[in-house]
Amino acid sequence: MTYVELHAATHFSFLRGVSSAEQLFAAARLLGYPALGITDRNTVGGLVKALRAADATGMRFIAGCRLDLMDGSSLLVWPEDRAAWSRLTRLLTVGKGRVDRRKGEKGQCFLHWEDVAAWSEGLVAALIPDEADRLADVALAQMADIFGRRAHLALTHRRRPGEAKRLHALDALARRHGMRSLATGDVLYDGPNRRMLHDVVTAIREHITIDELGFRRERFADRYLKSPEEMERRFKAFPDAVRATADIAERCTFSLRELSYQYPDELVMTRRSPQKALERMTWMALNAKYGGRPPPRYRKLLTHELKLVASWRYAPYFLTVNSIVQFARSQKILCQGRGSAANSMICYILGITSIDPVVHKLLFERFLSDDRDEPPDIDVDFEHERREEVIQWIYETYGDEHAALTAVVSRYRTRGAVREVGKALGLSEDVTGTLSGQVWGWSNDGVAERHVEELGLDKEDPRLALTLELTRQLIGTPRHLSQHPGGFVLTRDRLDALVPIEPATMEDRRVIEWEKDDLEELKIMKVDVLGVGMLGCMRRAFDLLAEHKGQRLTLASDEMQKDDPKVYDMICEADTIGVFQIESRAQMSMLPRLKPRKFYDIVIQVAIVRPGPIQGNMVHPYLRRREGKEEAHYPSRELRHVLDKTLGVPLFQEQAMKVAIVGAGFKPTEADALRRAMATFKSTGGVAHFEERMVKGMMAKGYSRDFAERTFRQIRGFGSYGFPESHAASFAKIAYASSWMKYYHPEIFCAALLNAQPMGFYGVAQLVRDAREHGVEVRPVCVNASRWDCTLEAPNPPLDFEGRNLLPLRLGLRMVKGLSNDHGARIAAAAMDAPFASIEDVWRRAGVPVAALEKLADADAFHALGLDRRQALWRVRGLGHAPLPLFAAAEARDDEPAVTLAPLAAGREVVEDYRAVQLSLRSHPVAFLRPALDRRGIVPAARLGELKDGARVHVAGIVLVRQRPGAGNVTFLTLEDETGIANAIVWQRIFEANRRTILAAAMVGIEGILQREGKVIHIVSARLEDLTPLLGRVGDMHFPHRPGPADGARNGGRDPRQPPPPSLPSSRDGGMRIRSRNFH
Amino acid sequence: MVTARREGNRDVLAAACDQARALGLAPGMPLAKARILVAGLDVRAADPDGDAAWLARFGRFAARRWTPRAALSGADGLWLDLTGVAHLFGGEERMCARILAFCRRLGFTARIAVAGTAGAAHALARFGAAALTLCPPGREADSLAAMPLAALRLDEAVLSRARRLGLERVGELIAMPRAPLQRRFGADLLIRLDQALGRAAEPLDPIVPEEPPAVLLRFQEPIATAEAIAEAAGEAVRRLIPDLAQAGLGVRRLVLICDRVDNLEQSLLVSLAKATRDGAHLAKLICAKIEKIEPGFGIERLRLVAARVEPLGPQPIAGALAGDRPAPDLALLIDRLAVRLGARRLYRLGALESDLPERSVRPVAPLAAPAAWPDWPRPVRLLTPPEPVEQVMSALPDGPPRRFRWRGRAYRVAAADGPERVYGEWWRHAGERAAVRDYFQIEDEAGARFWLYRNGDGEEAGTGDMGWHMHGIFA
Repeated sequence: MTYVELHAATHFSFLRGVSSAEQLFAAARLLGYPALGITDRNTVGGLVKALRAADATGMRFIAGCRLDLMDGSSLLVWPEDRAAWSRLTRLLTVGKGRVDRRKGEKGQCFLHWEDVAAWSEGLVAALIPDEADRLADVALAQMADIFGRRAHLALTHRRRPGEAKRLHALDALARRHGMRSLATGDVLYDGPNRRMLHDVVTAIREHITIDELGFRRERFADRYLKSPEEMERRFKAFPDAVRATADIAERCTFSLRELSYQYPDELVMTRRSPQKALERMTWMALNAKYGGRPPPRYRKLLTHELKLVASWRYAPYFLTVNSIVQFARSQKILCQGRGSAANSMICYILGITSIDPVVHKLLFERFLSDDRDEPPDIDVDFEHERREEVIQWIYETYGDEHAALTAVVSRYRTRGAVREVGKALGLSEDVTGTLSGQVWGWSNDGVAERHVEELGLDKEDPRLALTLELTRQLIGTPRHLSQHPGGFVLTRDRLDALVPIEPATMEDRRVIEWEKDDLEELKIMKVDVLGVGMLGCMRRAFDLLAEHKGQRLTLASDEMQKDDPKVYDMICEADTIGVFQIESRAQMSMLPRLKPRKFYDIVIQVAIVRPGPIQGNMVHPYLRRREGKEEAHYPSRELRHVLDKTLGVPLFQEQAMKVAIVGAGFKPTEADALRRAMATFKSTGGVAHFEERMVKGMMAKGYSRDFAERTFRQIRGFGSYGFPESHAASFAKIAYASSWMKYYHPEIFCAALLNAQPMGFYGVAQLVRDAREHGVEVRPVCVNASRWDCTLEAPNPPLDFEGRNLLPLRLGLRMVKGLSNDHGARIAAAAMDAPFASIEDVWRRAGVPVAALEKLADADAFHALGLDRRQALWRVRGLGHAPLPLFAAAEARDDEPAVTLAPLAAGREVVEDYRAVQLSLRSHPVAFLRPALDRRGIVPAARLGELKDGARVHVAGIVLVRQRPGAGNVTFLTLEDETGIANAIVWQRIFEANRRTILAAAMVGIEGILQREGKVIHIVSARLEDLTPLLGRVGDMHFPHRPGPADGARNGGRDPRQPPPPSLPSSRDGGMRIRSRNFH
Repeated sequence: MVTARREGNRDVLAAACDQARALGLAPGMPLAKARILVAGLDVRAADPDGDAAWLARFGRFAARRWTPRAALSGADGLWLDLTGVAHLFGGEERMCARILAFCRRLGFTARIAVAGTAGAAHALARFGAAALTLCPPGREADSLAAMPLAALRLDEAVLSRARRLGLERVGELIAMPRAPLQRRFGADLLIRLDQALGRAAEPLDPIVPEEPPAVLLRFQEPIATAEAIAEAAGEAVRRLIPDLAQAGLGVRRLVLICDRVDNLEQSLLVSLAKATRDGAHLAKLICAKIEKIEPGFGIERLRLVAARVEPLGPQPIAGALAGDRPAPDLALLIDRLAVRLGARRLYRLGALESDLPERSVRPVAPLAAPAAWPDWPRPVRLLTPPEPVEQVMSALPDGPPRRFRWRGRAYRVAAADGPERVYGEWWRHAGERAAVRDYFQIEDEAGARFWLYRNGDGEEAGTGDMGWHMHGIFA
């Protein structure tokens, strides 16, 4: 008689269970259980994690589920075999399919006894009763009816009054219905110390504070996992109920590993095997590309790859990806593949990627390991806005029953955890808000106590201390399932026989319950259909290029394959604002040192500025070796083979794994487990075990301990943030294409970027400024000249610096904040018909509401009609309601008395420009502050170039970007003034001391030491000052300075003998508001 | 120092002292932000109701002291109509100076403006340069010209629209043609402007000091006997009732004040559980307390004041038609008991949602509807505090006691149920984080039933000291 716990919930019973599968299995192992059953509420979402945890502890795992029915009864079910599992998943799919997401019923499951009856075969079940009353009696009758001999009644010690009596009555009831009782623990957490967290989670679930929780707190006691002996002792009176647990554990032998997966059939396969179809297609494509005589190197590579694919039987996967890409191509949607299998001749020749593996010397098998029996990985990036068309096509082609999106488990991170725990503990929202505001991005470290002190809060306050403590416990707990942006699972058989599917928040989307890692664990194929803004931008650029300059290009064109030295010159000078990937501050600061001259250099550049290499401290060794300051050094011949391309420094994820395999004798599966162990959310100490193995393995192969430890540290940095070479190569392709466009056609590039917003690293103001600095004439939004998109206008012959003829760029109505596309389109259409003569004319002919015209007036779009902002606004406000045609003439308010409005101060114009179109073509806001900045000894950004390395400087500007690469200890601040951009580096210590200024200020002044690295200049910050109040004054300023009393002749100023008028309240809405962008 | 109030889900500053303002704090700013800006900020809760009550009191005072026509002006101001009263205090300027001085003595910083229109006075008092501004008659337009538009009592939407058009000061507005303004800003703007300039009338809503309903009886001969006082009080009640009925009010608190011949006051207070106009009932309650009055040499005047009143409409008569006996009105009984025992000693017990027995009960007002009691059996009598029980014999970890000694007597257990496990409420006290109590229902051989508990769950030492306690007795 051995008790087996079959009734335990993980934290995938959202906001009910609080322990992870790992914790439960670890605890079960310590307590001496041979097996453990997991039953989450109406979900099997956490079961793959449980499977992995069970394997890690060497225990058996019984998959199950707790079904909460609509009539209030609950039962536990465990599938006996694979067929029963499919019935369970289909049952859950049915229940979840009834959810109406529009009514906010997310995550629920509506099931009735009839549904259970329909899908009950092969499921062992147990009813969870309350009292031994009529209700239980009826439910038991249902159970006996549906499940027959597989029905049980769950007995649980609740530690409440009259418990012994209740259990005996229930047991008698079960016997009367001819079924066995089943002892269960109804476990919600692994150990008694998690009770507090459970109470908090209950309060979060109920949306109330813990003080109001009252009897909604979980009232049945002892919900932690107890030892089998203890359970046997407690159920001494019911020995058969204990025996029943062992019987069920024995009977339900189903393991999730039995789930097998079939690739979907593709049309091209008619009467052929997938492998034959793939071979035929690729050879035909290759011959077509080279006019029947493909170069031998291409032939050789393709033959080789096809052989490998045949041996792994991956042909159907390539066919599926190919179908999707072909569809996109037919719709003229720009796309680009990436991933482990993407950089192959097969993908190149089928047009899935545009990276020629021969030219760029990429080897297919390097991305796949022989006995890592895992499906290949191809992600396909599509234009961001048109991805939806591809997704709809996938649903139509493969059918709802065979295609669904992967889930993403949203877990509590510090910010969300602080907010919710604080709320549950009754802290006011502004306190929790400020607490979470102290946390940078997606941290998982909780809120440090010194931050609490900095906020002026009392960290001794018991509630606050509890909040911080429980927050740390809550971090990492799943909160809900959401949909992966584009990870599709496609199958030949019904997908819901594999895993439950539920409707997503977005209409017509369906999501399975498992996430990426789960699918990998079960070896289920997934295709990522992702959106990349830059692809949309490039498509626009190609379109504009064809339209205005008659040049027709695609990503695969020769221009994009050749290495153009002029483009690389531009990249080397870090002139890459707007360019894909290599535009960030961190990337830009690296460019002049790395000096990319060929495609593979960009691949490295894309991969090197990542948290992985930075944390692994690989950047500087690589740079030194590249600059020739240091000899490339290889610890052994075998590793030289692995690290040759990157001068002996592992920069890519593949290399790190390979080092573990080649250097320490890891099996590829182990290397992969190592990568995953490091990537897991809250590493649970599994990494140390690998470290020992790796160091020992390397020492056994004759490497020094020092080297082995260093290598491991490098790999550790990779685990979570490393970048695979295969992805880097695809990104590098797009980066090169966008650089090419920026170099040769800056106006087209800028227009395409503006039309593709929001995307990228910089705001529109910087993109426009950059274009202007490259000689592009940018024209303001105009009601008569602007279309919805930004457009290029008729050539206006003046040539740019290099004698090229650039087209003037007209900002589109899309730039006007708050103007809807519909209204904008109507105005543009009416303006194309005939130019507007007056505001009334716009109103009448475009038929847009007055509110839309106000937006245009705010954006100063009526200047073509001779009206400035205020005059336009005055006229717009004077418009009545809907114009009736008959009274149209009378409505033209020419009879209104003329009104003179005070003209806007120059500073105010700029502020209003920023407010309405996020940029100003007039002058830079900081220009107005220059006299004040001069007085403080602040240097304009443009003058930094004249200063010496090591000079002490003081700069100031609007904060454009705050970037903190990875978990690094450095923050990049990009400041902008009227002369240019200044880049500051803030080290951790200074960051902590000036946290508030850095995170919140719109404008800062920075004092520090100038550091020159080639053409790139950084200021290493020593002192920061919040200049936001100064910036707020710009709106009241006249250019170039405030008029004094002596300027009376110009503006008729006031009589100095009079007392000054009362000052106007300062906290008006006129302050400069500029949104900076934060990157992590 | 600042005061803060709750606005939706945020705490914002309601007011800031001069020093705080100098540090950059301003009303309307989120409290959390203010805390970041100023370390060691003294934050008190704002009390808008208290402020309003005080202002109303000050207004009543002003109405009695300075001018019969005083009115409230927003949450922070008073209108005083000086027409015909200023000369009594030595002219406008001296009068205002005196008022300022008076306010200073009370500890308030006040600002006064005197103008020909309420609107102009409002603007000058709040936005004027000096604490005391006297606007010469007919010069309102001039003195207002430099004021910001906010001085005109406009709502924020209108103000922000005007700002977008570059209209900042009242003078600019005065200079503009009216029709386009009306078209763009609605009538409100012009009405406020006209009120300030005296082109439109603005009625004030003067404060009239309220008097509670009361009856005054004067006696030709001082009375001294209890019977006479009772008789007089009864008469006063009879006269008070029609007044109350007319006003639609019922009494919650009644004060009887007897002025004695020797100029001493004797008073007597009667509180009621429910508003009532039942004269006989009121008289009875007063009579029950009459012996507390010491008449001395006699009482010459008697005042009966309805100190607290509540609206009381006509009440339906329940069940009379069906012939049921109407439910007895508990309020009458409660009033009579309260007169004898004191209101504080009358309460009823209500349940509170807590697993800890000590915290699961609270007193509620006698007529309040208590929350439902939980289903689980609970003893009729709880011992406060729980009493220690000795020589307990029980099986660990969760066996019930078999015998124990309590209050010097030994008990042998015949039947038991348990344990019922109760956890500490860790969010209240740090000490309750791990605390566990195991409760047992016990029946001894004599059939008496007790509620015992043990500190701790019998397994973990941290959950309690394993001591046994008697916590209650079942019926």
